[in-house]
Amino acid sequence: MRQPPKQRIAMGAIKAWRLKALILLIIPVVITGIVMVLTFIFDFIPYLVSILLIVITVVDAIVSPFLIPKLRWRRWRYEILDEEIYVQHGVLVVSQTLIPMVRVQHVDTKQGPILKNYQLATLTITTAATTHEIPALPEKEAADLRDLISDLARVGQDDV
Amino acid sequence: MSDYKRLHPLAILFNVFNLFKSSFYFLFTIIVLSIGDGFILYTLLGLSVLTIVFAVIGFLIWRRFEYSVSSDQIHIKQGLLIRKDRYISKHRIQSIDLTQSIFHRPLGLTRVDVETAGSDKKVDAALSAVQLSEGKWIQNVMKSRANVGQDASIDHHESVQRPNRNITNKELFIAGSTSGSVGVILGLIGLLFSQIENIIPEKFYSMTTTWFLSQAIETIILIALVIVVLLWLLGILGTFIKYGQFQITRYDNELFITRGLLEKKQMTIPLKRIQAVGIEEGLTRQPFGLATIYVVIAGGEIGQTADAHTLLFPIIRKSKVQNFLNEILLEYNHFPSDMVNVPKRSIPYYMVRVSILPVILFVVSYIFYPQLLWMFFIIFSIAWLLGIANYRNSSYGINGRYLAIQLRRLSKETVLVPRRRVQSIENKQHVLHRKQALGQVIVSLLSKQSGSHLTVKELEQDDINKMLDWLSKY
Repeated sequence: MRQPPKQRIAMGAIKAWRLKALILLIIPVVITGIVMVLTFIFDFIPYLVSILLIVITVVDAIVSPFLIPKLRWRRWRYEILDEEIYVQHGVLVVSQTLIPMVRVQHVDTKQGPILKNYQLATLTITTAATTHEIPALPEKEAADLRDLISDLARVGQDDV
Repeated sequence: MSDYKRLHPLAILFNVFNLFKSSFYFLFTIIVLSIGDGFILYTLLGLSVLTIVFAVIGFLIWRRFEYSVSSDQIHIKQGLLIRKDRYISKHRIQSIDLTQSIFHRPLGLTRVDVETAGSDKKVDAALSAVQLSEGKWIQNVMKSRANVGQDASIDHHESVQRPNRNITNKELFIAGSTSGSVGVILGLIGLLFSQIENIIPEKFYSMTTTWFLSQAIETIILIALVIVVLLWLLGILGTFIKYGQFQITRYDNELFITRGLLEKKQMTIPLKRIQAVGIEEGLTRQPFGLATIYVVIAGGEIGQTADAHTLLFPIIRKSKVQNFLNEILLEYNHFPSDMVNVPKRSIPYYMVRVSILPVILFVVSYIFYPQLLWMFFIIFSIAWLLGIANYRNSSYGINGRYLAIQLRRLSKETVLVPRRRVQSIENKQHVLHRKQALGQVIVSLLSKQSGSHLTVKELEQDDINKMLDWLSKY
């Protein structure tokens, strides 16, 4: 891999992702529950299905809230240079992306209820062909970066 | 500001046609159902009423459609119930195309398509029928170096001595015969047949089948051969119609393309809008050293769903590409002389990738049709040949400010991108890749479908770093 970018995202990201994963855990739990009830009512559904679903749910309950957020955070790096934005992310598949500053069309910050709880915000960078996100930056930093990028991108902007 | 104009009344016809087209599936279902139930009379009555209603709506749409062209923008007012006002600024226009279909030509009319960047086709403007002189005038006014106020007599064709290239009949014939459209047409016929199968009377169907099966095997092969040859000829004819009288002319800041025998098309491509130049060698063309040459431009071409690219020339010898670019598009004559291939240790990835689909097919057919297994000898050989070809063609090259990417998606494609047209470069690696210092590189460009991504898989890590550094030197 190329020399990774220097900046890390906020530590709070781990907590935010963990919370999100825990909330999303409702879906497999509910599905498993429904299937178990159905198995109880109808005879033709084999018990193996329920057992399989329970195993998947348990694995999911361990991996997605407790393992993945940490790994994700460790890999997540970014760097805003004068002429380009350099981003690295990914757990199993690592991806490094280089975006020339003059190609940036617009930058947004956004914040859902979970991120708001931890005073974090996501920075979205859009070019004419692609969209890139830097998740979970401290609110203040996200706003500053947004303004910085929009200033840098304005210099030397030629049309599409 | 100039005053508002209406389209030629022929537009009403197009409106009605469009209304029918948009309700086609609905109508088609009803008609098929009613034919089966013997309600043909009512259906016909309903259709005629519908035609009258559509004619009225088509007329009203035409009445309410007004446009005005001024020195820096096009303004369009339209809408039956919801009024829409649209202003398109000159600086945002990617290109203006004139299309003359066989309906337009007897009346000296043309269709004008105004393309802007972006994937949303509804943002673009289309004037479905205006006088040809008016269309040319709009083209002139909206060009980057517009001479506003000059009349329409300034015609592209009058200013001669511009570098240009015409297609010859021989080239058209070669293009048609190698277009590989036989397969496409066969597929289409198959699709059509599966649709109308239900309509054909059972008796007729079974009679034909019995007759067909009772023939000697030689006859069947002969019939099949005749059909294939006919389709091949049809493909050639199609090419003649589509690309007949193809001409490309280089102006100072733009390319001008006219083509088409029945439907005449004129396209203006401002050089500033070109994102990349590509050479495509189709499966049926590569063995003969033939290729097509295209440009990637940003802008959703209306009604042209199949063509992702804009052809600069329908057929050309690979060895003549340099000459062609020298003459027409010197700015992009920078294809690097030596390309860097993906390393040998990436071969397994390429072979596994092409084998996935055949393996699935193999498993399925092993369960259901064990007697067909011999076919997989052929299928696997084809897949592996393709895998080797994919591996050998995947490469990149850097030539100063230009990056060339070569890859194969059935056809071999070589794309040249200037640095200032690259939207981003991404390097992706999974666990195995990291151990082997390989990676997948994705170069993103702006194109009609909001973005096109050129991917080279399993490239050497050092080479990817070189590409990233190349972009960094901005």
